[in-house]
Amino acid sequence: MITAGKTKLTMSLLAGLLACSGLAGAHHSNAMFDKAVVREVTATVREFQWTNPHIWIQVLVKNEHGVEEEWSIEGGGPNTLFRKGWRPNTFKPGDVVEIKFNPMHDGSLAGLFIGARFADGTTLGNW
Amino acid sequence: MALRFPAAMIIGHMALALPAVAQALPDWSGVWERLEGNGGIFDPSTVKPKDGRAGDPGVRQYPPLTDAWEKKYQANLALAARDRLPDPISRCGTPAGFPRLLALPDVYEFIVRPEQTWIITENGPNIARIYTDGREHPPPAERWPTFTGDSVGHWEGDTLVFTTVSMVGEKHTILDRSGLTLSDQATIETRMFKTEEGLLRAELTIEDPLALTKPWKVTRHFRKLPEGTRVYDYACAENNRNPITATGQTLTLDTEGRVIDIDIDEAPQQ
Repeated sequence: MITAGKTKLTMSLLAGLLACSGLAGAHHSNAMFDKAVVREVTATVREFQWTNPHIWIQVLVKNEHGVEEEWSIEGGGPNTLFRKGWRPNTFKPGDVVEIKFNPMHDGSLAGLFIGARFADGTTLGNW
Repeated sequence: MALRFPAAMIIGHMALALPAVAQALPDWSGVWERLEGNGGIFDPSTVKPKDGRAGDPGVRQYPPLTDAWEKKYQANLALAARDRLPDPISRCGTPAGFPRLLALPDVYEFIVRPEQTWIITENGPNIARIYTDGREHPPPAERWPTFTGDSVGHWEGDTLVFTTVSMVGEKHTILDRSGLTLSDQATIETRMFKTEEGLLRAELTIEDPLALTKPWKVTRHFRKLPEGTRVYDYACAENNRNPITATGQTLTLDTEGRVIDIDIDEAPQQ
């Protein structure tokens, strides 16, 4: 399923976005994420929390048994992300995106945002 | 509306209200960000490995620490490597404090007025007030340790020179997520000036009879962001889904506030 109305990002914005993925300057330790592992999944956005101190992308992902699971993908703070080109509607409910993240060490359903590719081919973060 | 006083009298009164010696103060207007970047390291000049991130295993700085403080630092480094060093600001309740507030992510404003300069950090937010109206630090009996401490200073040309005392130190603050701390006996002299248009330098000389064997010099920079850049709320408690446990573990919550983590310490949450 591909939804219409993806966020369009100009090339100049993309250049800025490359440097601002993840928890740069996070308000907490990110030791719980396994930075040596990158997971890439196709996900459907359930909710985009444009909030302090961090943004969260709630996504639905089918596991190896075909069962849909909700993952919590954590990003940086909205203020700095906004100045780098993100917007409160960068992810919209229903968007189908490919998303990369560092998973939690303990295997729980959360991760640290690395990058995303939208249905129209535009990318965000480190893709 | 009739004027109650002749204009000449009002102008005369305003003139009297100005400082006795008018001084042209530098223009530090606008919005700035730290130059020394995302690793969160307080003293980039002594970090090893170079470009290491604060809190990552094997990353540390080398201030001239006393033996006692080296032991404290090593203990904190070990905790940080296991994600068990509770960072006070992660609790969204207390300020970053001085001097850590010079090393924060997000943006800064430096409000220069004749009688004081305010350093405002978006992250936190934090406000440091630096009095330049000629006052001294309060006598010891009239001050107590606070997160931001007490800062008084003066201008030497375009350089703001100020000293900061009465900081809470290791009891409630850290300098960065590697676990570096000072004691509440620290005194810091800071010299702030523009090295070129759009670049502000802060040179800190830190003395601490408990933590340091000699003065520790730390330099940090701020670069000016484009005109029109806005500063926003940093409502840390708005959606803090990463509470810290009593053992210093950073948890992750789902959208309903339930703990996601599978491996959690057997300790009550704070």
